[in-house]
Amino acid sequence: MSLIIAKEGNAYSIRKITGNDETKKFLSSLGFVVGEQVTIISKNGENMIVNIKDSRVALGQSMASRIMI
Amino acid sequence: MTIKIGLAGNPNSGKTTLFNALTGATQYVGNWPGVTVEKKSGKYKKNKEVEIVDLPGVYSLSPYTLEEVVTRNFVIGEHPDAIINIVDATNIERNLYLTTQILELGVPTVIALNMMDLVRKNGDQLDCKKLSNLLGCPVMEISALKEEGIDAVTEKAVELAKQKKSQNFVVPVMEEVQSALSQIEKIVESNKINHSLPKKWLAIKLFERDEEVIKSLGLSSLVKREVESCIAQCEKLLDDDAESIITAERYAFIGNIVANAVKKAKKGQDTTSDRIDKIVTNRILALPIFALVMWFVYYISVSSLGAIVTDWTNDVLFGEIIQGNVQSFMESSNVAPWLTALVVDGLIGGVGAVLGFVPQIMLLFLLLAILEDCGYMARVAFIMDRVFRRFGLSGKSFIPMLIGSGCGVPGIMASRTLENDKDRKMTIMLTTFIPCGAKLPIIALFAGALFGGASWVAPSVYFMCIAMVIICGIILKNTSAFAGEPAPFVMELPTYHIPSLKGVLIHMWDRGKAFIIKAGTIIFVACGLIWFLQSFNWSLEMVDADTSILASIGNVIAPIFAPLGFGDWGAAVATVTGLIAKENVVATYGVIYGIADATEESQDLLAMIAANFTTVSAYSFMAFNMLCAPCFAAIGAIRREMGSVKWTLITVGFQTITAYLVALIINKVGSAVLLGGSMVEAAIAIAIVICVITGVLLIGKSKLKSSQSIGLEG
Repeated sequence: MSLIIAKEGNAYSIRKITGNDETKKFLSSLGFVVGEQVTIISKNGENMIVNIKDSRVALGQSMASRIMI
Repeated sequence: MTIKIGLAGNPNSGKTTLFNALTGATQYVGNWPGVTVEKKSGKYKKNKEVEIVDLPGVYSLSPYTLEEVVTRNFVIGEHPDAIINIVDATNIERNLYLTTQILELGVPTVIALNMMDLVRKNGDQLDCKKLSNLLGCPVMEISALKEEGIDAVTEKAVELAKQKKSQNFVVPVMEEVQSALSQIEKIVESNKINHSLPKKWLAIKLFERDEEVIKSLGLSSLVKREVESCIAQCEKLLDDDAESIITAERYAFIGNIVANAVKKAKKGQDTTSDRIDKIVTNRILALPIFALVMWFVYYISVSSLGAIVTDWTNDVLFGEIIQGNVQSFMESSNVAPWLTALVVDGLIGGVGAVLGFVPQIMLLFLLLAILEDCGYMARVAFIMDRVFRRFGLSGKSFIPMLIGSGCGVPGIMASRTLENDKDRKMTIMLTTFIPCGAKLPIIALFAGALFGGASWVAPSVYFMCIAMVIICGIILKNTSAFAGEPAPFVMELPTYHIPSLKGVLIHMWDRGKAFIIKAGTIIFVACGLIWFLQSFNWSLEMVDADTSILASIGNVIAPIFAPLGFGDWGAAVATVTGLIAKENVVATYGVIYGIADATEESQDLLAMIAANFTTVSAYSFMAFNMLCAPCFAAIGAIRREMGSVKWTLITVGFQTITAYLVALIINKVGSAVLLGGSMVEAAIAIAIVICVITGVLLIGKSKLKSSQSIGLEG
């Protein structure tokens, strides 16, 4: 499923990142790669703040929807 | 021989802090990613032959936004003698991703582990020696903030630079990938392709299909095909795209290192930052909290504390002590009356009117610096994204605007952190709508003169400006030039920390200083000129202000502003001189009414303003001056960032027309509702605005349609 429907406070393992472009490259440099643990810290509507590789990253809805868990 | 050392690292890892400590500079440091958008160089304090270059933070050497290109070009293109790679030790895995890319370049590199104190506080352990062995380059602990270990790191980098000892680092990869890389290497070699970078690095970049590198090498189509077949074969074998393969190899390597050299204490519960974020980014509370914070900032700096101090500097310090004493001194020493008038009314009156607002501006800068330094600003971008996105803007657009509330020039430059060119152009057009520090005195002056210093005035102007950003955003989004989704939002959020007193004060002083210097230079000259123009007529005789050159010029322009409610020549001149610097709006009033005062009993600038405006026309005047074309310095910045004269003119025209329409509505509708003015005029004003908006939308849409149909035919 996509990260947008994930629950606050839970940790998930990334299975796939869809698309293949600059954005995917950027996400991977932030630590969003297959197999990595991602924890949802808080949600603000469809936007969310997640913890990845010990850093806090804010994601918009369209970004989060590309991350499959 | 100078030695050039680049400071590279992830955003917000402390590069600028280190740069300032090493060079004695006071470059601005903030607690959010993307504070530095340009490279800056300075001389090392202890050895002037060493040049230190501070670079915008990057997560990798593949640029995603405009400011990241600067870093890549420097690291790859300008051949630095050494690189100090600053690594945020609290976040080592992510930081080492960039490190692996830097090391591959072969440039002598030292790794500076920053923020080790926090690592220790968390109970984690990090073995520098092991790290150094595994990465094959020196790794040293520093504290950029406390200036510990920074000289040792720099000396090490200089030493390596002198030895010209190039790094020989490769990320270990799987057999399949290695064979593909070796093949590519061979192809490059056999074709005798000229390059100054390590072969192994080139092979990886070609494998990743890095467009920049492919372009710079100018490969023939034959070579390209050969390389492509190597890549395709490997991709098929591993069932993944080449780029992801390399990324995975890098992270696997890093994971190995971290497992060896880092011992983590148990994963803790929520950190303090997480807990704060749960409240301030809460879907219901986030916006009210933000509104409250901004209301508080403007209330404190303009209305309450700021007004008390400013009243004193304006009335007592400049009004009585300085102006009064200089006047009596000059009169008693028989100085020519015109010279006395120039100094007392022109220069002291005008510059004093501006300097009087220094306490308010300093307070505003102080509060903004605290907000920026603690980490809240980055959250605001996130919170506003939800609002802005509905109107077709990215939340990231809000950061240039927040910086713009200090000064528009760095605000416009901060637009570089936006990924998408359309978003960026639109943000540049809208950024200066947010009142900058120099516009603050206009609000403060009128709030005091006509609204009795009411606490709602300053925040309401601020929120009106945000509303205009949103409304204009919607309109622009519906034209062909800006149609389309804004780039998806992604942004690292820094850890909250308590702002350091020193940092906040330096930041406040840096911004405030520019304001005072401007008052002493450009505004000083402008005041002298304004005084001259309003004291003499065209035959150079000293006359009353009403028959002066300035009045005659003002009277020509004034009718333009008449529908807005401030059609007297003074307001017209003040608005136009605001183009030089927005402080001039207030300074002009200081000069003009300084003279008028001399003949009357009232010495008070506020009283004179109050006599010339109604509450409605005052609000209209404020609105116009907030939204219209910014000062020349900001227009210059727009020109640089837009990179085109056409877009600069479009921007300035768009802003001025918007300002005019808003002021028109405020004046006509406000008069009709509050002052019993003509309802018909109010209706006409609304009709005009509706016509203009529909016109813009129709023209924009038709262009959109025609370009679409051309696209179809093509």
